Amino acid sequence: MNGSIVQVVLFYLLAALALTGACLVAFSRSIVHSAFALLGTFVGVAGLYALLAADLVAIVQVMVYVGGVLILILFAVMLTARVDEGKESNPTVGKIPGLLAMLAMAGLLVVTAVKAFGPRTVISEANPPSTVSPIGNLLLSKYVLPFEAISVLLLAVLLGAVTIASGRMRKGAGGKQEGEAPR
Amino acid sequence: MTAPAACDLSALRARLGMALLEETLLGGIAQVRVAREALADTLRFLRDDPAYRMHQLTELTAIDCLLLRDTERFDVAYILHNLQTRRRVAVRCAVPEEDPRVPSASGLWRAADWAEREVYDQYGIVFTGHPNMKRILNHHEFVGHPLRKDFDIYRGYWLSEAESLADELDRRRAANPQRLAGMQPGETMVLNLGPSHPAAHGTLRNLVELAGEEILFCIPEIGYLHRGFEKSAEVHEYNQVIPYTDRLNYCSAISNNVGYAKAVEALCGIEVPPRCQYIRVILAELSRIMDHLVCNGANLVDLGALTNFWFLWNLRERIYNLIETVTGARLTNSYTRIGGLSEDLPEGFVPACRALLKEVPKPVNDALKLVARNRIFLDRTVGVGMISTDEAISHGYSGPCLRATGFEHDLRKTEPYYGYDRFQFEVPTGHQGDTYDRVMVRFLEIFESVKIVEQALDQLPGGPVKADHPLSVLPDKDRTYGNIEGMVNHFKVIMHGIQPPRNEVYDCTESPNGELGFFVVSDGTMRPYKCKVRPPCFYIYTSFPRLVEGSLVADAVATLGSLNIIAGELDR
Amino acid sequence: MNIMHYLADLLVRSLFKADPATWPYTWIAYAVVIGVGALLAFAFVAIFAGPVTWIERRIAGRIQSRIGPNRNGPQGCLQWLADGIKCWLKEDLVPATADKPLYLAAPYLVFTGMFGAFVVLPFGAHVIAADLNVGLLYILAVTSLVVVGLLMAGWGSNSKWALFGGVRSAAQLVSYEVPSAFSLMAVVLMAGTLSTQGIVGAQGGWPWQWFVFRNPFLFAAFIMYFISAIAEGNRTPFDLPEAESEIIAGYNIEYSGMRFLFFLFAEWANMWIMAAVATLAFLGGWQIPGISPERIAEAKGWTFVGWQALSFAIFVFKGTCLVFTIIQIRWTLPRLRVDQLMITCWKYLVPLSMGSATGVLLLMALVREGGIVDWVMRGAMLLVGLLVAGAYIRKVRATFMADRDNYKKMEGRDLWYPPYRLP
Repeated sequence: MNGSIVQVVLFYLLAALALTGACLVAFSRSIVHSAFALLGTFVGVAGLYALLAADLVAIVQVMVYVGGVLILILFAVMLTARVDEGKESNPTVGKIPGLLAMLAMAGLLVVTAVKAFGPRTVISEANPPSTVSPIGNLLLSKYVLPFEAISVLLLAVLLGAVTIASGRMRKGAGGKQEGEAPR
Repeated sequence: MTAPAACDLSALRARLGMALLEETLLGGIAQVRVAREALADTLRFLRDDPAYRMHQLTELTAIDCLLLRDTERFDVAYILHNLQTRRRVAVRCAVPEEDPRVPSASGLWRAADWAEREVYDQYGIVFTGHPNMKRILNHHEFVGHPLRKDFDIYRGYWLSEAESLADELDRRRAANPQRLAGMQPGETMVLNLGPSHPAAHGTLRNLVELAGEEILFCIPEIGYLHRGFEKSAEVHEYNQVIPYTDRLNYCSAISNNVGYAKAVEALCGIEVPPRCQYIRVILAELSRIMDHLVCNGANLVDLGALTNFWFLWNLRERIYNLIETVTGARLTNSYTRIGGLSEDLPEGFVPACRALLKEVPKPVNDALKLVARNRIFLDRTVGVGMISTDEAISHGYSGPCLRATGFEHDLRKTEPYYGYDRFQFEVPTGHQGDTYDRVMVRFLEIFESVKIVEQALDQLPGGPVKADHPLSVLPDKDRTYGNIEGMVNHFKVIMHGIQPPRNEVYDCTESPNGELGFFVVSDGTMRPYKCKVRPPCFYIYTSFPRLVEGSLVADAVATLGSLNIIAGELDR
Repeated sequence: MNIMHYLADLLVRSLFKADPATWPYTWIAYAVVIGVGALLAFAFVAIFAGPVTWIERRIAGRIQSRIGPNRNGPQGCLQWLADGIKCWLKEDLVPATADKPLYLAAPYLVFTGMFGAFVVLPFGAHVIAADLNVGLLYILAVTSLVVVGLLMAGWGSNSKWALFGGVRSAAQLVSYEVPSAFSLMAVVLMAGTLSTQGIVGAQGGWPWQWFVFRNPFLFAAFIMYFISAIAEGNRTPFDLPEAESEIIAGYNIEYSGMRFLFFLFAEWANMWIMAAVATLAFLGGWQIPGISPERIAEAKGWTFVGWQALSFAIFVFKGTCLVFTIIQIRWTLPRLRVDQLMITCWKYLVPLSMGSATGVLLLMALVREGGIVDWVMRGAMLLVGLLVAGAYIRKVRATFMADRDNYKKMEGRDLWYPPYRLP
């Protein structure tokens, strides 16, 4: 498509957004700012997906990560006591372990990048066909087992969360309701 | 008027023996004076003995006798009430200046908690055994006790910083550790609900500790609108106090006017003429309608239902228009005078009032239609802010809030004044004392008040609206300017004011909020020696923490609205 | 064919006399057209949200037996402009203790979230900014930015009330996204596509071709979507995040001037988005009765433009009806409590909407489209719909008549004013 310049410009913009967000997450003194900076990363990555014509993945990225994960993180962060104090909320692990973790991560990334390096795929069509139905078909045919396994796992997580929460609520409620007007 | 007979005190006499120093009458109420040592025993006996069962402490105040008589400096006065037998007993106890301590009654009646704090605040009398003996109406940086007669009233005290209330919160925490069970420090949030908060009608401050949105502890702080009504009353003539009473419950100013005038008339021994009584009834009932309209309208706004408010508010404006034709004012009417009214009804009032009464049911029914069977409204109000009859009485509840608990008590029925016994009307009651019941009782009372006003208009007699009592009541203008006796009479009343005999009286009326009492003491001069108001919502508000603790913020807002706390009356 | 595509090509062809497929600078034309389209959509938001505030206030005034704004312009119809200008001119206060970057960024995020959804709304047969393949999912995803914005506002204001509002709002939006997504899933199953134009295309112009009247499960899904939409829009009876009597207007308590306006703007825009999504998913969107989409696409010249305008009008009309319903609900009901709100969602709406989606699947498997059962169902549901509408109109009429007679009796003059002479 003759909009390749646009694509390039867009790519760098989105990459910059994702990276700036990531840097803010890592270097911000306030964990709340870090959490909000995740938004930039998620949206930037979603934009990159969209640029690769993976529309469903892009949208799901926004839905799941912005609409779900980020909100959860924000909730957790905001409801934590003394979250304002950087030292309390953003402790560092020290230089040596940090360096080790960084090296391990970098190695992983390099290996993946080298493996994935190959002939360039050029998306020639201006309006690529929808990726929704192919992905849906694959999920319910070729990858049905992992798909179902993940659902079961999520269900287990859900049940576990409910159990933990309800146990705590019952304990709290038992203490509070004593001698009080029933509601 | 059929005032209930004074309570038989023989059982108390037998119990107390020598400790019972004196038996008198406070207005129509049997009064005993007991020795300070026997006070706690007397109060407990009066509450628990089957012959009395005074389960409500209606009023607790003190009198500084410095200029009144040559006895001990202070007199503490308790007015107790058995709402079933409708008997009242007043207990008096002298307290010396050098050792101003009295045993606390806060263990006997919940109402005593704040009442004792108020006496401490205003007079410096310490109630031993009280769990929280600190100021209530005046701020914590205040020095001295303003209702003492030797207090320098020209001295003011700035408040530099609001009270943190941390001491009370810590005490509540320590008393109820189970509520904090399983919670880490920092998991709760301490929040000031007020003093400037849309739901804090006026200026109420509630310090709440929240777990999520659930209120664990609630510490009310009042006094933001305290302006020293009682101290002001002491330096004004009897008639000059009337404008101050407008500002008590400003939603129904005439009810306060009537209550105050009635108390002072009882003090002077004036009986107002029938026409005056009827007019007072008509206007007080119209005020009751307005008060309930405002209360319910605002309460529904607190619940998020805005439209009802306008339906009810428009009606209130119409009633205001009518009252404006009578008194010339809309909000602060100052309509009564000692021994009568400022003037007679204007021409055309009766038909105008009848036309207005026909308009009342429509908007009220419209509002009721929107809420009465509305599922959201029911979910929000039924079972919210619930209080049992016994607790309510112990807290000093009266009026609609008490009736909402299912207990039928209305001073217009139990101690009828101004011929209320001649009117046919029902006393609506609730079932379980929750927010829903309080709202509905108020709605129903509007219809009952309409009935009363209709009957009063039918029966409205002619004649004068001022008592024939030349010592207290100004003569008519034609007499003032027509003959010398009238002129002299006018001069006397203006220059020397009303001088009731040395006497004390506690007199109460059924105001829209409940029992509005005035405890007036006269030393024979033209100014009240003491004029204590018994504001109904002061006592009702004492129950607020226990109504809302354990519920959500939204419930607290709904409950607060339904209690109809009027800061002007609460803080005086 | 997308109208923007068409216009861009037209631009290139007519202005530069070049073939858009080979001309190297076509992308500039595209960018320009997209920019103009975005501006137009923005203008629509502004022009819609603005007068709707005025209309809502006038309606509220009528409901509440008062007058409402009637001073600026005829019937006060410029009130929204005056309000907007006033807010624009007001000082933009930032609390001293606020978390400044978050505080300043939040309104834009909220607004972006709302505005982003307009991209895929099919206003007419070809009036759409971008017909994405994943349109419906895109709306759900992009509105989640709003949640982040509200949380940001709540936290950034550094006020406990604002935090309450933000957290309440986020909890509410996240929860109600589930039933609304499930309700929309029923539609997606029927249409077999996520594209908004595709969903509209799967329906027809006549009411019995709309999804809402196809079968009982879709009817239920429509109602559930509507309830969830009201909740997601923070409208009464679900206006807890802005409950002024409880938490003093919640997340926007500290905002003033233009930033405050952005929140309000987003709220009213959101009202429109929700109504538009309900319209496109359940009420046949812009479909013109009796005119097939193919005929519109084949039309040329002014006929084409006319069809576009008519479809646009139909879509806006349907959406506006829903918006009015939302307004009327707002001025009728009290507010839920926070636990009741969550119970409504998780105990009733979520299982029921899941059930309706499953039910739709079942019916799709069992009932042949166009068969006798299908038509019986459509007829029955249409009848139900008509009965509901009829009962509603009857009730409104009866109330109006009663009020009119009462007013005439009391005031001695007519209640009815011609619309141009309303007080």
